[in-house]
Parts: sequence; C-alpha cells; structure tokens
Amino acid sequence: MVSTVETAPAKRRDGGQTSTPEVSQEMLQILVDNIQEYAILTLDPEGRVTTWAPAAERLKGYKAGEIIGKHFSVFYTREDQESGKCQRELEAAARDGRFEDEGWRVRKDGSRFWANVVITALRDPKGNLKGFGKITRDMTERKQADERLRQQNRDVLEMATVPVVQVWEGILLVPLIGMLDSSRTQQLMERLLHRLTETSSQVALVDITGVPTIDTQTAQHLIETIKAVRYIGAEVVLTGVRPVIAQTLVHLGIDLSNATTRASLAAGLRVAFNLLNLRVGAADAAGRTELA
Amino acid sequence: MNVNETISVIQIRNVLLVTMPADPDDSTIAALQERTLEAMNNRDVQGLVLDLSKVEILDSYFARTVAETAQMVGLMGGTTIIAGMRPAVAITATELGVTLGRTRTVMTVERALELAGQRQVNGKQQR
Repeated sequence: MVSTVETAPAKRRDGGQTSTPEVSQEMLQILVDNIQEYAILTLDPEGRVTTWAPAAERLKGYKAGEIIGKHFSVFYTREDQESGKCQRELEAAARDGRFEDEGWRVRKDGSRFWANVVITALRDPKGNLKGFGKITRDMTERKQADERLRQQNRDVLEMATVPVVQVWEGILLVPLIGMLDSSRTQQLMERLLHRLTETSSQVALVDITGVPTIDTQTAQHLIETIKAVRYIGAEVVLTGVRPVIAQTLVHLGIDLSNATTRASLAAGLRVAFNLLNLRVGAADAAGRTELA
Repeated sequence: MNVNETISVIQIRNVLLVTMPADPDDSTIAALQERTLEAMNNRDVQGLVLDLSKVEILDSYFARTVAETAQMVGLMGGTTIIAGMRPAVAITATELGVTLGRTRTVMTVERALELAGQRQVNGKQQR
C-alpha cells in the first residue's frame, strides 16, 4: 500500500477531511486485513511481492515471510510461466493503468483455483511507477456453477433435438418434431444406437408425426439409421407415416420396403409388442393390465 | 503375432462361435474366413455365431470379409448370426455401405446362441 499511503495526505489537505493520516491508514490496514474473499497484495515494479494480506495467505497458502520478495509468477501455472503471461500482464497494467484476467492460478500446495485477477499500476503524483496492486478472487465455485449450467443446457438441447425415451422394457421411443437436417439425423443415429445398447432394447419406435416434410437426403439418413440399428441387433419401427409423407416417399422413389413402417404410433407399439412376444390384454375390473 | 491365437473358434453343440479381437489386422481377418469355412467343413456344425463385441474399428476389408463369409457359410448350408456389434462400428458399416443380406444380428452372444438353438429345434421338428 506504499503509494496510497504516500498520496493520502495530499488529498486530505485538499478535501479538508477530519481524520488524521494515522487513523486513515489504520482503517485501511484493518480493511485489507479483514477482507475475506479477496487476496490483496502489492508488487514492486519488477513483480516481486512487497506486501501480503492475511486473506492472500488463506487463498494462496503462503505465509508473508515465505512470499515477500519472491516473484509473483509462482502463482501461475507452469504453462503460463513458460509463455511469459505474468510479464505480459504487468506490461499491460503499466501501459493501461489496469489489467483484468480470469484463469487458473496455483496455490502453494500445487492445487489450482479459478481466479479473477485485477492488477493496477501504482504511480506516485509525478507518474513514476512505484509498483502494482494485485487483487485476486477465488471464483472456482462460480466457475463450477457455470459449467454445471452449461452442461445442463447442452443436455436439454440434446434432449430437445433428439429425444430418446424408454416406453417399455426393450422399447425406446424417439418422437421427432420439426425439420430433420443432416446434423440432426446424425445425432439421432448416434444417440439411438447408444441408448439401445445401454438399455439392451430390441425395438426403437421412430415417430415422424411431427416432421413436416421429408426430402431424399433425410430419407437416406433414416434408411442408414434403420440399417445401423439392425447391425447392432435391434429393430426400427418407423411410425407416424402420414399420407403426405407416404406420397412423398413413393414419388421420390425411396425404398423403405425393408423397414417396418406404420401410420400411427399406436400401430407401431403393437408391432413392437409382437416383436418382443408381449401380449397386451384388456384391463380387468381392478384396472390391471395383463402382460404375458 | 500368431494369427491362430487371436481369433477364438469354439464349437458349442452344433454352433460355431467365432470371436474377433478388438483391432484385427488383415492377416487375422483373412484367417477368420479360412478357419471358419474349414470348421464348417470338418465339424458337425449348422450355424455360425460371429462375436464382434470386442471389435472397435471396422475397415472396408473387414466389413467385406464378414459379409462374404456369411454368404459362403450360407452356401455351405449354415446360417450366420452376428452378435454384439458396437454403435460406432454399426455407423461405420452403414457409411461403408455394407450389406448383410439376410444375416441375423443380435446384441449379445447369449441371444445368438438362444436363436441358433431355436433354429435347430425347429429344423428337427420339420424333419
């Protein structure tokens, strides 16, 4: 806090404040010592540590006696040390007055934390560089929360693009809604194959009721998916083939004669039950459905 | 590498179970066909179960050999069931345009042996 202390009296004379320099400096020291979340330290113009607050010790693990006089590059990862990142940050702070960064930093025990770092150039009234103030905040938890949120978003998006749900033991349902492009059908194939093997399901009901139109390319992708599913030892039943889709498929000359296709999902489900030798009986008085 | 050690060919009742290694080289693939057809000829077997569950990579030569072997076994009066093809391999197979014709595919060797057993029972009943 060298420069702050040096420049403080000048300000106070101008502003006519009542506090004495001693009280002000003491308050400032208490502030720095008591802040929990921020590691506050100062560096000399070459980047060696000159002051070290208790919060810095808590965050980074070094005691004041161990770290004062050492170069601040010890807080960086090996890759950052080798690429000269620390030096670039000091140069940027000296040039622009302030430098901010988020990235991995290293504690004394070698563990990493995700840090928000602000480096401020400290200059005396004449503009000579006296050193740098460095404020580091541990953002690991926020970073992890961000990652979790992003992963959840990805999962939701994937689920919305190609939903694969198990409707019965051995039967998966893929209700497709909206246009099918190449990347989506590619995702469909991969996700469906993995879910089939994961759940050891033998039948996949691919429902295209919600697909407005089908072109040659999409149909080709569907045929490939049907083939790939067969290779792993399962069967696709294509359901929701509406009149307009049936017309389009025939007019395009697409041969789906090797695949099982049905107009409705209900009809497809019956095919699936038959393939698995399941029999659905009428519910009895107690509302139970008989399955054999 | 001794090719004969990498493919396992065992007989279970009337079925020949052939297991391929994870990443077979061309000579192993060639040996697959040789040894399978030989065994079909020399032993009293009616069907072939080809276990691909270990296989991670499929190239066009391997794919063609599998399809051809199934066809040849068919000509010799046997039926082929392919078991345990992994999703990634299945995707490659479609990309390579592999046609397996009437060859049955199932998820596990267990299921393949079940099916092969059923066929034998049916066959005996017909006779």
